[in-house]
Amino acid sequence: MNISWIKKNTFHYSEFSDLTRLVDEKQRKNLKISLCLPTLNEEKTIAKEILIMKSELMTRYPILDEIVVVDSGSTDNTRKIARGYGADVYKAAEILPDLAKFKGKGENLWKALYVTQGDIIVYLDADIKNIHHRFAYGLLGPLILFDNIKYVKAFYDRPIAIGKSKIRPTGGGRVTELLIRPLFSLFFPELTQILQPLSGEYAGHREIFEKIPFPIGYGVETSMILDIYEKWGLDVFAQVDLDRRIHRNQDTRALGRMSFAILQTFIKRKIELGLVDYKEKLYNEMIQYNLIKNEFKPDIYKIEGHERPPIIEIPEYREKFKRIS
Amino acid sequence: MDNTIDKLPGFVDTIKSIQETIITNIVLMGQIPAPTFKEKRRTSVFMERLAEFQVDECTTDGYRNPIGIIKGTSESKPPIFVVAHLDTVFSKDIDHYYSIQENSIIGTGIIDNSLGVGVLVSLPEIFRKLGLRFESDIVLAGVIQSLGKGNLRGIRHLLKTWATPIRGAVCIEAAELGRLNYYADGMIRCEVDCNISPVDGWEHKFKPNAILVLNEVINQILKLRLPQKPRSRVIIGKISGGFKHGVIAYDATLGFEIQSNSDKMVKSIYNSIKDIIEGTSHEYEVDLKLKTLSNIHAARLKFDHPLVKSSVAVMKKLDLTPVSGPSESELSIFLSRKIPAVTLGITRGENYHQQNASVEIEPISKGIAQVIGVIMAIDSGVCDEHQLD
Repeated sequence: MNISWIKKNTFHYSEFSDLTRLVDEKQRKNLKISLCLPTLNEEKTIAKEILIMKSELMTRYPILDEIVVVDSGSTDNTRKIARGYGADVYKAAEILPDLAKFKGKGENLWKALYVTQGDIIVYLDADIKNIHHRFAYGLLGPLILFDNIKYVKAFYDRPIAIGKSKIRPTGGGRVTELLIRPLFSLFFPELTQILQPLSGEYAGHREIFEKIPFPIGYGVETSMILDIYEKWGLDVFAQVDLDRRIHRNQDTRALGRMSFAILQTFIKRKIELGLVDYKEKLYNEMIQYNLIKNEFKPDIYKIEGHERPPIIEIPEYREKFKRIS
Repeated sequence: MDNTIDKLPGFVDTIKSIQETIITNIVLMGQIPAPTFKEKRRTSVFMERLAEFQVDECTTDGYRNPIGIIKGTSESKPPIFVVAHLDTVFSKDIDHYYSIQENSIIGTGIIDNSLGVGVLVSLPEIFRKLGLRFESDIVLAGVIQSLGKGNLRGIRHLLKTWATPIRGAVCIEAAELGRLNYYADGMIRCEVDCNISPVDGWEHKFKPNAILVLNEVINQILKLRLPQKPRSRVIIGKISGGFKHGVIAYDATLGFEIQSNSDKMVKSIYNSIKDIIEGTSHEYEVDLKLKTLSNIHAARLKFDHPLVKSSVAVMKKLDLTPVSGPSESELSIFLSRKIPAVTLGITRGENYHQQNASVEIEPISKGIAQVIGVIMAIDSGVCDEHQLD
């Protein structure tokens, strides 16, 4: 296995903290950059993300050209607050409304490609408690400065917020270590060099994103890596250490459902690539059990595994961005 | 000065136009835990932010108070100090991440005093936006070790070692907008530790209980007759002790402050409390130790001091009603060194010392305009010819 990639393409965000240089290079290359925040009930954190990014990377250093929130149908004040702080806010269901409607993070990311203008798109989760503008400029640095890099993933220390007020200093990444890393080790050992393949923060050139399919749910990060790797190889990837990210803790059952969706995507890709041949149909229900009044009752969670095609195949998109299929 | 004051309402809108940067600074500063004596990380970020805003000189003094100096146009005018204390009462393992709502910022330590610190580091950018230059150097100081056992060490050291005269000072506190502090009470902050040895006989059924002993001390303090003039009071502020519900408490600690506008009265009350503690220690045969954590002297500007009058005029121009009271913060150290100073609040807040403390966003611009108005007043010379009593 060639492990030179990790040495060559792994960065620390501080290598890109000269924001004036990023602005100059961006202008020299005539790039437009969009920040996309996919949301679902994120009223506690959304304003802070928008405000810090706007202050530091739009007003003080014109690196971002737009901040776009694509919302899955929040029932709290997410959209109102985001709009109030100056983001362009869309409901996912109202973008390309003639298409079948799905709900999920991947759906929001895919639809963001239609409403954003950027040549480069940065995707950040909207629930980052310790948001800092390094999350965006760290990911953008390699894309702006190095022409061969087309897609950048974040990695970090991942303390978990437990309860209302305490921080547990280590943890996180359980699905990565228990599922993704074993799978990559078995089938794509080169990809194990990507330290946190499930991180929700990444950025890339539109020309990459528009040519890959997007699972609508949890599988989107895994499929993105597999598809970009398959089409363009590992050399277009970079990863950036963004230091610390505080995120909400998820219980094991939720992580189980996440793992199901990821595995579903992974196997689907393997079949499509002709790497495996499954004779039997795969099921689309995650079954977990609860003990209720001394009886084990199944808790069935349907995960359809829908995928959006590469958006370049959508006529409205080709029309808007003057693309040829 | 009149012309200057007339500009202030217009400043509010300009300041509002860079509100995002101000709130960003508040959040970036406030999200770094800075319990007293452990302000190092916040100090570094304070310096980084000042450097990013191209402040002329960013440094730390010998005590590691971070300082930014914006050079003035005159070489002869003494500097004006603007200070906010960096430390908070919350330990570093408490969640310090802030939430921003439509018109509020919520989070640990925001009122005491992370918002004040964020505003302080925003001042260079605000001055630039308003096109303001001052005759005096403006010294922006985030002082460390202010609260509790910190005993205002940071500001004491900064002023003690500052080589040149100081023209005047503004101390920034997050809340409440409208406060105008220009006098400081004399104060002694104390702790009483009660320790009962668990060794000599667990079989004693009626062993003294440290909590009850301190309860007796409190009762006796409450019996003290305190004069209305000079205005005096004892605040019982903290108590802790014990081990578990069914076991006699072997250790307990009581924290209190004696405050008065007369240093003599503070000393007299302190002596009375010392007698109470010695008496209780003797009668209950327990170990009671009285420790002095902090001691500051009463000092004040008169209400007719030009700095106070100018501050009132600035506030009234901004439709603020000045509310005055004593302050035992950095202000007292400036005043005790005969440096004219006031403390101002920036906005309105709730749940002051709780983890869900919140501040209103909307009044912040007005609060900052008021600070700038007072800095401009000092720069115009209102403090230059009036010595403190």
